Amino acid sequence: MRTHFIWLVAWKELISTWRDKRTLQSTILTPMIMIPFFIIGLPLLLGSLIGGQQLEKQKVGVIGLERIPAGLKAALEGDKKQNGTVISRGVTLEKYSGDPQKAVQDGTLEAVLELPAVLPSTAGGAPVSIKVYAKLSSLRGQTGATSKVQEAIRAYSDTLVKARLERSGLPSQTLTPIVAQSVDASTTEERRSGQLAFIIPLFIMQFILAGGMPTAIDSTAGEKERGTLEVLLVSPVGRLEVVLGKFMAVTIFALLTALASMVGLLLSSMLAGVILPAVLGSGREGSSALAQAFGGNLTLDVPTFFTLLAVALSVALVVSVLMVAICVYARSFKEAQGYLTPLLIVVSLTAVLLQFSDFLNAGAAFYAIPILGAELAILDVVKGRLELGNIAISVVSNILASFVFLAWALNSFKRESVIFRS
Amino acid sequence: MLQISELSKVYNTPKSAKGAARGKSEPTHKALEPLTLNVTGGQVYGLLGPNGAGKTTLLRCLSTLLTPSSGTARVGGFDIGQEPEKVRQILGVVNGGMGLYDRLTGREILEYFAGFYGMERSKVQSRILELDSLLELGDALVKRTMDHSTGMKQKIVIARAVIHDPRVLILDEAASGLDILARRALLDFVKSYKAQDRLVLYSTHVMDEIEEVSERAAILYKGRLLEEGTLEDIRARAGEKRLENAFFELVKAEEGRLVAS
Ligand SMILES: Nc1ncnc2c1ncn2[C@@H]1O[C@H](COP(=O)(O)OP(=O)(O)OP(=O)(O)O)[C@@H](O)[C@H]1O
Ligand SMILES: [Mg+2]
Repeated sequence: MRTHFIWLVAWKELISTWRDKRTLQSTILTPMIMIPFFIIGLPLLLGSLIGGQQLEKQKVGVIGLERIPAGLKAALEGDKKQNGTVISRGVTLEKYSGDPQKAVQDGTLEAVLELPAVLPSTAGGAPVSIKVYAKLSSLRGQTGATSKVQEAIRAYSDTLVKARLERSGLPSQTLTPIVAQSVDASTTEERRSGQLAFIIPLFIMQFILAGGMPTAIDSTAGEKERGTLEVLLVSPVGRLEVVLGKFMAVTIFALLTALASMVGLLLSSMLAGVILPAVLGSGREGSSALAQAFGGNLTLDVPTFFTLLAVALSVALVVSVLMVAICVYARSFKEAQGYLTPLLIVVSLTAVLLQFSDFLNAGAAFYAIPILGAELAILDVVKGRLELGNIAISVVSNILASFVFLAWALNSFKRESVIFRS
Repeated sequence: MLQISELSKVYNTPKSAKGAARGKSEPTHKALEPLTLNVTGGQVYGLLGPNGAGKTTLLRCLSTLLTPSSGTARVGGFDIGQEPEKVRQILGVVNGGMGLYDRLTGREILEYFAGFYGMERSKVQSRILELDSLLELGDALVKRTMDHSTGMKQKIVIARAVIHDPRVLILDEAASGLDILARRALLDFVKSYKAQDRLVLYSTHVMDEIEEVSERAAILYKGRLLEEGTLEDIRARAGEKRLENAFFELVKAEEGRLVAS
C-alpha cells in the first residue's frame, strides 16, 4: 500500500468536489444556517403567533348577551396582568342571534357563546351549560379565543363556588383536600432541550450524509458513467489504494459538514440565549416552553462539544465507507442516488423515532448498533444524560462497522461484475 | 512485444438482468474462444471485428482489468496474471468513451495520472511540454475539461494515455465520434507512435482506419480469430481486392462452418 497514491486519489476527488458550486452551500452553509434557523427561528415564529393570539382581542359572539352576569362579562373582557404588564388580553363581546356554526366557520367570529335561558348567579342549583362554538382543533383557537373563553367560564364558575362555600361557613379549600404537586425530576439539560431535541441528531445525521454524498457518487458511479474508472484502474494504482483514497475524500467532506453542523449548533446555543428571551420575554410561559421544546436554551460546553464531535466523526467514517460501497454498484449518477435513498430513509426514520427513545430502555446493546447507537448517543449528549461508556460503545461500533464496509467496498472494486456491470 | 496464448474469456454474469431476476441460470457467455497470437513491436497492429466480436474483452484482459478464464498473455515480457502491475506500468489505454474529469484542467489530469507512474515532478513538466508541442494541447492544458471542445478532449485523452511514454498503447474505438480533423490528428499520432519499437494495438470496426494506420491485423468474429497477418495476405487469401470484401468473405465462410457443425 502506497500512501502517496491514496493521497493522490483523494486529492483529485477533493478538488473535483470542491470546485462544484453547490459544494460550499451543501457542506458548510446549509448546516450552519439551517440549524440555528430551526432551533431559534421555529420557537420565535410559533412564539410570536401564540403570543400574538394572547395579546389580540378576539371577537366573540354571545347569544343572549342581555342575560350575561356581570361577573362573567368581566372575566371574559378583562386583561390578565403579571408584574404590571399585560400577558393576555380579554375578548370583545358582541350580541349575536344568527347561526353560531356558520359565524365560526366563515370566520366572522372566533367563537360564539350560547347562554341558557336562565344563568344561575349562585352555586348549588342544577348545573347548566354554556355552549361554546369554536374550532376546537385549531391551534389559533386553542391559543386564542377558545382557551380564553373556557378559562373565563371556569374562573366565573369557581367564584360562584367560592362564594357559596363562604356563605356556608366552609373555607374555600374544602373542595381540594388533596392536590398533586409535580416536581420536575428531569436534569437541567433535559428540561432545557425538551421533547423536540431529537431534531438535533436528525440534523447532524442528515448533514453528514448530504455532505459525503456528492463525492461518494461522483467518485464511484460518476467515474463509471464517464468511463474514467477503467482508465484509472489500468494505471499502476492498486484497488485498495483507490478505495481508500475515495473513502478518505468522502469522509473529509462528511466531516466538514459534521463540523459545520457543530458550529451551527454552537451558534444556535449562543444566539438562543440572547435572542429568545429578548424577543419573547422570559415571563411568557407558552413561548419559553416552546423554546425549551426545540432546545432553544441548549447549552454546549467544551466537553459536550468534543464528545459530540467524536460521535459525529465516527458516524462520518461509517456513513462514508458505506456510501462508497453502495455507490460502486451503480452504473450512473442517477442510479447511485436511487441506491442511497433507502440509507437516507433508514437513517432519518430512526432519528425521528428517537423522540420515543424514553420508551425503549436503551441498554448498551442499542448503542452497539452502528449509526443508530450514535444517534442515541448524540441525543443523550444533547439531553445531558451523557454516559461515557455508551458513547464509547457507539463510537467503537461505528469504527468496527467501517472496517467491515471497507472490506465489502474493496471486494466490490475487485470484482469484474461490479466494475463492468452492464 | 505481445504474446497471447490460449487466452479465453467467459462472462459468468447473466447477459440480461431479467434472467438474473428470475433466478434462471442462463448459459454463461463465451466472449472469447481460446486465442493465440504473437505481435512484435514497432508497428500499429489492427484488431478488426464487428460489434460483439470480443475486441474490448480481449483488450481488457491484456490490460489486466479482466481475468482470463483460461490461458494467459505476456505484454512487454510481463505476464498479465503474474505481474499485472508491471504490465500496467508499460501500458497506455485510450477507450472510446473520451471520459475526463470535468472540473480538472487538462494539465491537472495529466499530472494526476503521471503521479501513479512514479514520474518525478520535473519529468512530468518536461513531458507535458513535449506532448504540448506534439499534440498542440494549448488551451486544453489550462481550461477545465468541461469547457473543452471534443477535439481538445481527445487530445488530453491521448496525452494522458502516453504521459508515461508506454511501450504498448491500446486504442479501443478511439476515433468514434471525432470529426475529420480530429480523426486525422489521431491517426497521424498513432502512426508516429510505433517508432522506437513501441507497439500500438488499434481496435475498431471501421475498415478504413485499419487500412490507414496498420500493416498487420487480426480479424475477430463472435469471439473467434478468423484471420491474422498483413493486410495484403488477408486480402489475397480471401481473393479480394478490398479489405471490406475480404472481411465479408471470411465472415460468410465462418457462418457456413458454424451452421455445419
Ligand atoms: N461485462 C460483461 N458481462 C457479460 N457479457 C459481456 C460483458 N461485456 C461484454 N459482454 C459480451 O461479450 C461479447 C463481446 O463483447 P465485447 O465488448 O468484447 O465486443 P466488442 O468487439 O468490443 O464489440 P463493440 O464493437 O460493440 O465494442 C458481447 O456479446 C458482449 O455482449
Ligand atoms: Mg468494444
